Amino acid sequence: MKTGFSVFLAAFVALGASWFGLVYCPLKQLGVATETKVLQSDAKWPLQRTGDATLGLQVYRSAGCAACHTEQVRQTGAANVLTITEIGSHQPADLKAFIASLASSVTELMNSSNAVAANLAGWNGELPKVLYSGDDDTVVSMLGDKLKAVGVKTEARVVATGADIARGWGTRQSVAADYLYDAPVQLGNLRAGPDLSTIGVRAPDLNWQLQHLYAPRSLVKNSTMPAFRFLFSVQKKAEGKDSADALVLPKEFAPTDGYEVVPTAEAKQLAAYLVSLKNNAPLYEAPFSPITAAK
Amino acid sequence: MSVENKNCCSPETGEPTATRAAAPMWIIVVTLVLLFTGGLFLDSHSGWFDKNVYAPYQSSAQLETFQPKSGAAAAMARGKSVYEGVCGICHGSDGAGKPGQFPALAGSEWVTAKGCNRLAHIPLAGVAGAIQVGGKDWNLNMAAMGAALPDEDVAAVLTYIRSSWGNKAEAVTADDVKKVRAEIGKSPQPYSGAQLKAMPE
Repeated sequence: MKTGFSVFLAAFVALGASWFGLVYCPLKQLGVATETKVLQSDAKWPLQRTGDATLGLQVYRSAGCAACHTEQVRQTGAANVLTITEIGSHQPADLKAFIASLASSVTELMNSSNAVAANLAGWNGELPKVLYSGDDDTVVSMLGDKLKAVGVKTEARVVATGADIARGWGTRQSVAADYLYDAPVQLGNLRAGPDLSTIGVRAPDLNWQLQHLYAPRSLVKNSTMPAFRFLFSVQKKAEGKDSADALVLPKEFAPTDGYEVVPTAEAKQLAAYLVSLKNNAPLYEAPFSPITAAK
Repeated sequence: MSVENKNCCSPETGEPTATRAAAPMWIIVVTLVLLFTGGLFLDSHSGWFDKNVYAPYQSSAQLETFQPKSGAAAAMARGKSVYEGVCGICHGSDGAGKPGQFPALAGSEWVTAKGCNRLAHIPLAGVAGAIQVGGKDWNLNMAAMGAALPDEDVAAVLTYIRSSWGNKAEAVTADDVKKVRAEIGKSPQPYSGAQLKAMPE
């Protein structure tokens, strides 16, 4: 074969290029990731897990939670939003005229004058009122300053947008930094149940998590989640009294009289892990306004 | 059904061999078009492989516009925008000034002084006459560029020049500016270098 060397070289370059682009470069960028900073705060991200929560990740993995739950919030856009919160002694109609005159005379605002006018159409003074929502941060700061000068209070915010965020599953998208302490990362690819990236914010109570694992329908009526009863032991009450960590269950989910449900160590670890899932800190790469910056 | 087509094939004379042939023109054109569209797509969607840029953000510059601003960061952003609109026209957006005409702010001893009292007088009242900046003698005629700006904007722009281009000095508050403005009065006269030097830092 005369062209053997060329074939070898072409195959080597093709495989080498994909190895370089898909393995080497990502490893070089993210393989050396360390804790990052939370925006507008001295706190570090991600948070360290407790020992129980670290073990809980392995329980999560072995119980197959990732088959029905994801740990990744998606985002399709972001917006700089300016909201009027207080108009002081002004009349809405006068204020509308003032804002319209600003939008047509200040250079930075001209491109957005139509959007601002559309937001104000039909406004009768109800507050809070979204004045601008879009890409341009100079519009937000400029309009905010001009309105502040005439005694109108506004609020400038950065918000993430998208279906997952509208569902309340998070305030921003998931980024690599969130998974720094996860090994292996439990991204999941099917959502038979809700996303769990921020379940520790939505349901921070350990007892709620334990009861939900033992009897999901005792807390969420139409839940399709299987009960993870093998993580609990049903045992006879000692001297007719509940033990300290026995579950307090509604009657139809409780075992027969004289018995109690006690979580095993795995159940406690899994609950600790679920409570530790709080991917909601604003980061440079996934910004949003945690607190409102009032003007 | 087996009908032999006698005109089909010449009898084989030996093993077939690979030879060289020029690539057809259309393949070259299609490849170039694909490369070009791929390049355009990468340019607008790759974020230039910045590890901080995730979709839907398309570049680090766009990501920057969505950083929430409050406190110190907001003052710096405000200061930058005021500086570029008012001061940067002469002093340059890099703070380097123009030799012989406008002194540099980067590394200037007036800008990075411990206190901001002398510095705050300059935009509020202006400078006229001889002044020494960076070891050189200047003869300046700077108008009271900041006299019409609100206290917050003057404070923001002074904070910005005191902590940009390698300058490292403390932030200026709106109260500092207010004090100086009250001291100057309603119709300020520009100061000379000697007058400024006579003031406390």
